[in-house]
Amino acid sequence: MTGIGNRGLVQCAGRTVTRQEVEDFLYAEADILDHWDYDGWLALFEPGARYEIPTTDYRPGWSPHETGSFVDDDWDLLRARVKRLKSRKAHAENPHSRTHRLVSNVRLSGESEDSFRVSASFVVHRARDGHFDAYVGWYDHLLVPTEDGLRFRLRRSILGHESLAAGARLSFIL
Amino acid sequence: MGSNPRTVPAPMIVEDWDQLTFRVNREAYRSAEIFTRERGWVWMHTWLYLGHETEIPNPNDFKVRTLGGRPLIFCRDSAGEVHAFLNSCPHRGTVLCRENEGSARLFQCFYHAWTFRNNGEVAAIPDASAYESSDEFRASMALRSMPRLEIHEGFVFVSFDPDMPPLLEHLGDAADYMTMIEQQHVGGMTTLPGTQLYSVRGNWKLAVENAMDGYHFAPTHNTFVGYLRESGFAVTDDNQYAYNLGNGHGLLVLTGHGGRISMVWEPRFGEDERVRTERHRAEMTQRLGEKRAHHVADESHILFVFPNLLLFDIEGLSIRQLEPVAPDQTDVRAWQLVPRNEDPAARALRMKTVVSFVGPGGLATPDDIEAYEAVQRGIQATAGTGAPELDYSDMSRGMADEVKAVQGRSIDEGAMRGFWRQWIEATGLDDGLEIHGERPASFLVGRDVR
Repeated sequence: MTGIGNRGLVQCAGRTVTRQEVEDFLYAEADILDHWDYDGWLALFEPGARYEIPTTDYRPGWSPHETGSFVDDDWDLLRARVKRLKSRKAHAENPHSRTHRLVSNVRLSGESEDSFRVSASFVVHRARDGHFDAYVGWYDHLLVPTEDGLRFRLRRSILGHESLAAGARLSFIL
Repeated sequence: MGSNPRTVPAPMIVEDWDQLTFRVNREAYRSAEIFTRERGWVWMHTWLYLGHETEIPNPNDFKVRTLGGRPLIFCRDSAGEVHAFLNSCPHRGTVLCRENEGSARLFQCFYHAWTFRNNGEVAAIPDASAYESSDEFRASMALRSMPRLEIHEGFVFVSFDPDMPPLLEHLGDAADYMTMIEQQHVGGMTTLPGTQLYSVRGNWKLAVENAMDGYHFAPTHNTFVGYLRESGFAVTDDNQYAYNLGNGHGLLVLTGHGGRISMVWEPRFGEDERVRTERHRAEMTQRLGEKRAHHVADESHILFVFPNLLLFDIEGLSIRQLEPVAPDQTDVRAWQLVPRNEDPAARALRMKTVVSFVGPGGLATPDDIEAYEAVQRGIQATAGTGAPELDYSDMSRGMADEVKAVQGRSIDEGAMRGFWRQWIEATGLDDGLEIHGERPASFLVGRDVR
């Protein structure tokens, strides 16, 4: 995803996808998550999609099937995670963290017949228990254009930290 | 340290065999003085878990790691021998190796270019003629080795104290549970890249208690238990036990909290895994015999090795190391230990299953972290009030059975009590242990699986 060859638009699934469309999608997702609308969030995925957060020692090319991870959710686990987060018994997120998300540096690349890659930077601020934690990193997503708009095939958040700081657990969606 | 006047209120632990209560003074989780004492006494005079041999599989491999606040280099020299050195240049104290990991025959200090071989010997001191007796001087400037290093089943332990008894003596009954891990697969086990590094706002002893505490499983992990039940696994706390293994080590033996990849099948693992499990389980019986294979395969074990190692031998196997950084903060490091040469589909299932439970992004560990952080905040409520008797945490569950020589259940607190008894001895705060009545003759330590 590096280099100056990345474009602000890709051809995919028989149409043109622009950076603006992708930005609108990511901004809408940030808003959904900041408002704790997890059903709305799950609707942004195609069935069978995955959610991943590699560990902080991640190196490009590592597969969650062959290394340790923070999150390695297939479609079943992703739905279990959402169900859990909606429960009052998800103690780590009851009461909920307050989050505020910034998304930037959006770039499109690597289109195949029906999907393309998006990289973007994120800063997520999280307030809870009298603390204010910042999570910084980049997204490395695989998106698919559908009749109903863009959908996640793979949603991956890669942390820029050397380790997770005190209190900075990943009990909410990063 | 022993000569310092104590400002910590006594008693630290009250063990009462008449009332059948066991209470721990909450200063143990809060006090800066006790934290300093733990660093100086426990961490300086105990075997400490450093890392797994398979983290540095090849000659010249190294990792850096902090233990008890001291930066170390954990490496394998060019001849293949494992070492642990202080990561500090003997010349002026600079951190010598500033990479987290890699492969190096030589470690060179950037400050004055002093250079050391990976067996600790001095390789070069620029302009050495400036020193009066350069050979002798050179020999005195070798890298500072940890005074003791011993390895059991790939688990590397070190001690800052040269006079420690042998590692196996310290491990006692815990040693066999580490052997059981190595016996799970014919080719042995290896750690993987992808280390979970995180930090919690809680005292390290809260993390130990939590791991030795089956009582919290159902209420704290309500959502995870719900997930297992929905996927077809009958979660139960029945017939599961907690063992005080002595020397502060503890063990939970669990059979009703989840399956075990390649050893105990459950529906969420899928049909392919059922076939693999049957095959592997038969191989285990042949290799280990019926009884041994049962203990190795059919039971989940959560093993605590005093003071800084937790082995979660559950769905898969996670090694967790605790590094206290402040009274109210603990760094946690977790590695996944897996069978060598595993079928890729089994490996993928294992990784997914393991991290769905353990780690700061799992569906269960965040609730444990919430628990110890909530305790750390909550115990401020009783600190330094006019009612010091309220400033104690209760760990009495199971003492009524203990006096009858009935094995404590996983939902009792006997393994925790074993930890705290060792803790008070290891911190040299023995005079803070108040015992009422007689500890029963039938008091159980250890577990007979042979």
